[in-house]
Amino acid sequence: MSAQLDISNVSKIYPGRRGEDGIHALQDVSLKINKGEFISLLGPSGCGKSTLLSIVAGFQTVSDGFILQNDRELVGPSSTRTVVFQNYALFGWMTIQKNVEFGLKAKGVPATARARRARELLASVRLSGFEDKYPHEISGGMKQRAAIARALAPDPEILLMDEPFGALDAQTRVLLQEEIARISTEAGKTVLFVTHGIDEAVFLADRVIVMSPRPGRVRQEVVVPLPRPRTAEMRADPWFVSTVNELWETLKPDWQKEEKQ
Amino acid sequence: MTHNNTRLRNLVGIGFFLGLWQSLSFFDLVDAFMLPSPWQVAQALWDMGVDGSLWENLLASLKRVAAGYLLAGAVGLTLGLICGWWRAVSDMVRPIVEALRPIPPLAWVPVSILWFGLGDASAYFLVFLGCVFPIFLSTFTAIRSLDRDQINAALSLGARPGLMLRDVLIPASLPIVMPGLRLALGIGWMCVVTAELIAAQTGLGYLIQQSRMLFQIQNVFAGMVAIGMVGYLMSAMLERLERRVNAWAPSERL
Repeated sequence: MSAQLDISNVSKIYPGRRGEDGIHALQDVSLKINKGEFISLLGPSGCGKSTLLSIVAGFQTVSDGFILQNDRELVGPSSTRTVVFQNYALFGWMTIQKNVEFGLKAKGVPATARARRARELLASVRLSGFEDKYPHEISGGMKQRAAIARALAPDPEILLMDEPFGALDAQTRVLLQEEIARISTEAGKTVLFVTHGIDEAVFLADRVIVMSPRPGRVRQEVVVPLPRPRTAEMRADPWFVSTVNELWETLKPDWQKEEKQ
Repeated sequence: MTHNNTRLRNLVGIGFFLGLWQSLSFFDLVDAFMLPSPWQVAQALWDMGVDGSLWENLLASLKRVAAGYLLAGAVGLTLGLICGWWRAVSDMVRPIVEALRPIPPLAWVPVSILWFGLGDASAYFLVFLGCVFPIFLSTFTAIRSLDRDQINAALSLGARPGLMLRDVLIPASLPIVMPGLRLALGIGWMCVVTAELIAAQTGLGYLIQQSRMLFQIQNVFAGMVAIGMVGYLMSAMLERLERRVNAWAPSERL
């Protein structure tokens, strides 16, 4: 069986301004992702993980290599690959309901059908009763749930999440991690999840892809044997604890370097 | 409560201003010919309202400002949108705009008379020139400063150009575009009066000029007061609309 997403020898170089060297953001990254898999891309800032996600989303192009989605070359953004952003990127001028309906409207779903579907999705992320609120009226955690419902609305094959909990406080993060674990398993979506949080990367993923900083490369792959859906008590599992510690030891030098810069 | 206080203070300010003005002529501090009292101006305004000349000229001015403003809106919004979206176009258009923008509409009057003669077309042109730059610049700035992630979100959700424009670009840019539109209308109103002082046979500007030549100074002031009040009303109306349209925007929340 061929992979749903086949990232093959992808490099990305941002050209420098006059005389300066360009930035080598990604070098020779290869990664095959199967349908329904949850992949965490883990690494310090500057390892190109967000660049890779942005390329998979179709917002940027590769400098070298190619990406196949179901054996076809991937070009430009598509509602088969929707994105959840760190800063939510909800449409501030629309209610939560209308935000979720947007992808359905783009698909040409009739008004009543899309209203019903959006309400279902909002219920699945526990936002029933907030349909008519505007984004500025709800909390960060709720905004991110709404953004997840919006991304799920067009029924994408792949959900791309770019440090989705980066702007949230620690408690909300933990709660949302469990929600994501539940939602992604229920919805059966392939997920590419970018993070610099070691425990959330391991907690959520079937496979953790560890990346090294500039130029971004795949450094290590960790297969997570824990069953899905993940639940809170798995954080105490001996394998989980030791893996998180080992990854921390591996990544520590990179973080220290980042700290010094 | 706070709102009532604001109203009250507004009225106190206006009352004080009118009182000061009235006392200037009451105590014979200035020549009544040079500066008629507010009471005389109000009477002149009333008389022109009754004989219809005020409305006739007001309507002529409003028609001109509307035509020039709509034309400037069509051009400024479209060009601003295109330049904001496509960097390459903006690199070509911006230098021209920036060089034309500092030329005051008044400096265009001779050319305008040459091209369009004395009459409506000249006024449309001058109003257009006054309005088009603020509308263009606010639209350009608004589109340029849109949140990249929101645009990307819309693209990845499958938005085609029509939906993108209607549901994302336009509502997202209104908080910046609307004040630009309001500013432009104010400038347009000033331009129409300027145009009429020189290049027209009707309108409030013409009324002022004509009254001066007939030494009806109270009518000159009445015309000016009318211009001020209409400008104030236009601005207030657009501001109300702005509040409603941008109710969602962070800066409008307080």
